[in-house]
Amino acid sequence: MDQYLPLLLIFALGLVFAVGSFAASRMLGPRPRLNPAKLGPFESGIAPRREPPARFPVRFYLVAMIFIIFDIEIVFLYPLAVMFNQLGLFGLVEMASFALVVFVAFAYLVSEGALDWGPGKRAGSRSGAPVTRSVSATVRRVSRPGAPTPQASPWAARGGEAAAAAGGPAASPASAAPKARVVG
Amino acid sequence: MTIFAGTAGPGCTISNLVTSEAKVSGLCTAKGSLSIPVEYRSIAPVLILGVAALVLLVLSATLPKRRYPGLWAGLTALAGIATTVDGIVQWANLDNPANTALTVGGQVLYDHFSAFFAILFGCATTLGAAISDSYLSREALDGPEPYVLMLACSAGAVLMAEAAGLITLFLGLEVLSISLYTMTAYHRRRAASGEAGLKYFILGSFSSAVFIYGAALVYGATGSTQYFEIFQFLTGTVVVHDGVLLAGMALLVAGLGFKVAAVPFHFWAPDVYQGAPTPFVGYMAAVAKAAGFAGLLRALMLALPTQVSSWRPAIWVLAVASVLVGSVMALVQADLKRLLAYSSISQAGYVLIGLQAGTQAGWSAASFYLFTYLFMVVGTFAVVGLTQGRGEVRNDLGSIRGLGQRNPWLAGGMLVLLLAQAGVPLTSGFLGKWLVISAVIGKGQYELALIGMVGAAIAAFAYLRVALLMYVPAAPTPARPGQPRGEGGGEPAVAPTGPGAPSGLAEVAGDLEALATAGLGATATAVALRAPSTARLRVPRATAAAIAVCVAFTVFAGVSTPVLSLAHSIGLTWSL
Repeated sequence: MDQYLPLLLIFALGLVFAVGSFAASRMLGPRPRLNPAKLGPFESGIAPRREPPARFPVRFYLVAMIFIIFDIEIVFLYPLAVMFNQLGLFGLVEMASFALVVFVAFAYLVSEGALDWGPGKRAGSRSGAPVTRSVSATVRRVSRPGAPTPQASPWAARGGEAAAAAGGPAASPASAAPKARVVG
Repeated sequence: MTIFAGTAGPGCTISNLVTSEAKVSGLCTAKGSLSIPVEYRSIAPVLILGVAALVLLVLSATLPKRRYPGLWAGLTALAGIATTVDGIVQWANLDNPANTALTVGGQVLYDHFSAFFAILFGCATTLGAAISDSYLSREALDGPEPYVLMLACSAGAVLMAEAAGLITLFLGLEVLSISLYTMTAYHRRRAASGEAGLKYFILGSFSSAVFIYGAALVYGATGSTQYFEIFQFLTGTVVVHDGVLLAGMALLVAGLGFKVAAVPFHFWAPDVYQGAPTPFVGYMAAVAKAAGFAGLLRALMLALPTQVSSWRPAIWVLAVASVLVGSVMALVQADLKRLLAYSSISQAGYVLIGLQAGTQAGWSAASFYLFTYLFMVVGTFAVVGLTQGRGEVRNDLGSIRGLGQRNPWLAGGMLVLLLAQAGVPLTSGFLGKWLVISAVIGKGQYELALIGMVGAAIAAFAYLRVALLMYVPAAPTPARPGQPRGEGGGEPAVAPTGPGAPSGLAEVAGDLEALATAGLGATATAVALRAPSTARLRVPRATAAAIAVCVAFTVFAGVSTPVLSLAHSIGLTWSL
């Protein structure tokens, strides 16, 4: 029984905290409890202006992957820290090789642009066609009105998109061919 | 070659099964120091494949971002060859029986079985990389990622084959499965690929959960997850209330049965095979099946041989259902990849037939079957990958029509591979079927042998349909009046009139068509007869070489005995 006493205490504390929080919010909170702000998302009081977009940029997932990579590394570092003296050199070498594996995954993610948030990141994308950032190249790659699609290849579409993104602020091909950009 | 064992206390080294004491648990504690002796020789195939995957990742992260045609596939094939060579070295080294051991803290078995499967997965990686390269560049998907996944998958597969406990088996299973889910969904621009990946992922994770629950129940019943300890417990104890143990075994078989697509657990296979990128399907069919069966064999033959009377009926039912359902369903498929999926289900049934015999002859036959099936299935899917055209536009039966005219060599190779899967003599497929059936005849199970032969005869029709279609002329022949297509079974058509020699040729073509589509429904017949473009296919060099190797091996293993004797001398480390 004695050994379960701390467990019971924690359980009781948790119960007290939960009940206390509810009671306090009921007693101290503003009176008309169900106002529009309370019913809104996140109860933040800021009403959303539009429906949230259905798609998120894939880069958020890459950041999440970076988190998971280091999370896993830490998970295995804890047991090493506990057993460090017993494991000795063997444990150190094993942990170092494990950290190396994790670091390779991290390096791969970074090279894929998980940490690049600026525009024009895709200019050098692996599967893309070589992108020359000039107005004429951009205009040629996307279709002219009335003309058939110049290249059906999926790389061409990506290349054009990348060129448009890269050349956006500086070269501003938009002024040269605004309609063409919309099509691309 | 025990490394880091110097710091261990006396009696702390676990290297040799024969000399080790009864306790073969994961860790071994001594005062002040804790050391796990690692025999790196035994896990060398896993290390080679894993390190190769890391090297590919590092290269892709550090090299300038552009396309490197052939680099990734070449490195992967190199790693596969290295694994094969290492497996052969292991095999030679293991001929000294003192080397057979339970290593790496009792988690890995170092024996002929491990070496055999290391060779198998090395070959699969090499061939898989060779046939993927041209496909991926055709579909504008090339990059290091699929090869990294392929290498990781092979590493997991080797780990499954050499696992000495259910936990290590599960680790290998997950590494293998997660790589395969991603490979299935790898074709970004093809909706079917994503759908297949999602289906495979959901059903696959569910089956992994079933498997690990089974492992938990077996642990609850026997007190260990290590094969050797389970075996020892069950030989020394009579389990009176064995409900938990039986449930655990059932869940283990169900979880692994899913991975090998045995019949009640096969529903994912046609959809996934149809949607996944074609060369990956060939690789997956070979590797996932071989790894699943290796795990199942180990678990049943090493940990649970005492319960053979409990698991044999279950495996019997799985085997019969797989053989019959796979063969019959293959008959009515109009999609080539679905047809091959059902055919692979029926092939899994034959391996199960060998497995349920529970004898040396049985597992040798199963291992031989898996090894030879690898070459058949990779070669077949390589050909399908070529005939389907860019974007996988045509996977139906008609896409292969007229291949004999367009590419005679390719069609000849495909013919050999199809005949081998049908079990025609002088091919490895015949020898495999013969071995499993003689294994069960050795056990006196004549009914199972009969079912196996009937199933082979049914499946042969599905393969011959494809083979016939390859030699039907590519140009569509006009339907003759008085003979509706797709009906009348395989009866030879009677020529209504004799209009002369030129139409005599058309007559033959029409007969071939009628034969090739016998038994198919009206829609499927129309699909099967839709002529592809008559242009000659361009066969990339690496793919051609891979197909040639597959065909050559299929014939070689069918007419000579080295592979057979290799499979015959596979002994498990211990069993009843």
